[in-house]
Amino acid sequence: MELANTLSQDGESRGGVLAHLERLETQVSRSRKKMEEPQSAQAEESALGTRIHELRRLRDKLRAEVKQHQASVKASTTNVEPDQTLEITEQESLKRKWENVKAILQAYRFTGISGKLTSRGVCVCISTAFEGNLLDSYFVDLVMRKPLQIHHHSIPVFIPLEEISAKYLQTNIQHFLFTLCEYLNAYSGRKYQADRLQSDFEAFLAGPLQRNSLCNLLSFTYKAEPEGQSFPFCARLLYKDLTTTLPTDVTVTYQGKRKYCTFCSHD
Amino acid sequence: MDSQLVEARALEAEITALRRACVEPPAPGEDTSRVRKSFRETYQADSEGWELSKDLRSHLGHLESEIQFLSTLTGISIRHYSKKTEDLTSTEMTEKSIKKVLQRHRLSGNCHMITFQLEFQLLEIQNEESLSSVITDLSIIMEPTEYSELSEFVSRAEERRDLFMFFRSLHFFVEWCEYRKRTFKRFKEKYPEAVHLSEGASSSCMGIRNPSRPGFELVIVWRIQIDEEGKVLPKLDLLTKVPLQALELDKNGVIETAPLSFRTLLGVLGIEATLESLIKSLHTERVMVFRQSRPARTGNRRLPSPPP
Repeated sequence: MELANTLSQDGESRGGVLAHLERLETQVSRSRKKMEEPQSAQAEESALGTRIHELRRLRDKLRAEVKQHQASVKASTTNVEPDQTLEITEQESLKRKWENVKAILQAYRFTGISGKLTSRGVCVCISTAFEGNLLDSYFVDLVMRKPLQIHHHSIPVFIPLEEISAKYLQTNIQHFLFTLCEYLNAYSGRKYQADRLQSDFEAFLAGPLQRNSLCNLLSFTYKAEPEGQSFPFCARLLYKDLTTTLPTDVTVTYQGKRKYCTFCSHD
Repeated sequence: MDSQLVEARALEAEITALRRACVEPPAPGEDTSRVRKSFRETYQADSEGWELSKDLRSHLGHLESEIQFLSTLTGISIRHYSKKTEDLTSTEMTEKSIKKVLQRHRLSGNCHMITFQLEFQLLEIQNEESLSSVITDLSIIMEPTEYSELSEFVSRAEERRDLFMFFRSLHFFVEWCEYRKRTFKRFKEKYPEAVHLSEGASSSCMGIRNPSRPGFELVIVWRIQIDEEGKVLPKLDLLTKVPLQALELDKNGVIETAPLSFRTLLGVLGIEATLESLIKSLHTERVMVFRQSRPARTGNRRLPSPPP
């Protein structure tokens, strides 16, 4: 099969060559006929001569061009190799830098204040903690415009956000954020303490823990011993300073068997 | 003629071939980066990485500007951060679907002129209902150590493992320091002969003298203290230096009560106005008499925050 193909291919090519030769023959015969006319022959010869001349010129020119191209390609390919190794190390260092930068961005949350750039401005995230326990986070979405505006936020309504922003937002944004931080951390801490009191000291509490949403006013009844016949005490804790987690006023009333405590609603 | 014809044909063929050779590789003078790019495309080692490379650069730039912004927003620059995680989940815990992880963090940076280095451990316990994160250890190294008020504060923060309080108080402390520096500098510039700063602008004392009345000096000591809760409060005191003769002439005991009166004045006028009035008082020809009205308020309640 293949042999036949090659034969036919060869046949075709031979046919091609043969046809070509035939053409040349006819041309030669034609030219021979023309040679019988000396004038036209001469003219043709000179025309052909000039044509060859031109062709030679063009060929030389193209030869030179190709040489140049090849040289430049060679040069650029040899240049690529060392650059390419540079590229790898460059890419490695880029990646390392990128990872480091990303890590640092993550690390900002440990300062208590971190943020993410938004199309409008920045969304600041304030983290809270108490005695090493990481607690809730709150966010404030700021619009970077003059005047600076709070787009929206997750700050509880009983934190005096308007007051703080009226004082500091326009003039000293760092102070605004850290003051807000203070209030939120204090609130978080008070809330955490109240929650823990309720859960961890349930046995000591003689009734429910009463508190307000700011957790700066707590009142409860407790016993000195979980079991036994000790008399209950009524405690009232007031945290006047909203930026602290320690109460400013503590009232403890002790009653015998009579009803006395004004803040407790049970017998 | 035949030979010429043949030559002509040969030349034509060569020319066509040469033309083809010219077109394929890029022409000289064009960017070698294109070649590099095609090489890059054919490079197979980390094809995904190569695509990232261009995006990486622009993304890196964006992240770096975000850090710059955060550092301006908070006043705290974090230079280095690393973290190691250790899984402490035991097989019993996994059965109860509880996960326990200990993270060791290392953080360093600066807040204006104060550099810090922190190392802390964070214990994360995840059970079905909630995730609890607790800082179980905190160690802080701070420079410069010339702010003696800070060393006590640092040990307190370490004890309470209160990382956020550390940064908050650090910020307010630095803010007050900067305000004190600005105020002292301003007065020094306004009254160059009267005002004397012993340790330069970052000193905690400002001396007021009158060159024409040697022997008299008022020294204002401005300390910045951090209390147990991490609250930063300025504490200003007045010290008087007066020649013995003047003391003998002082029947009303003005010099003696000056420190208390100073505190009263602070509460009424604020820091800057008080200092200015003191400077002016030493320069007047008339003798200033401190009126001793009601006793001064004890302690420095929350004074207003430093103006921007």
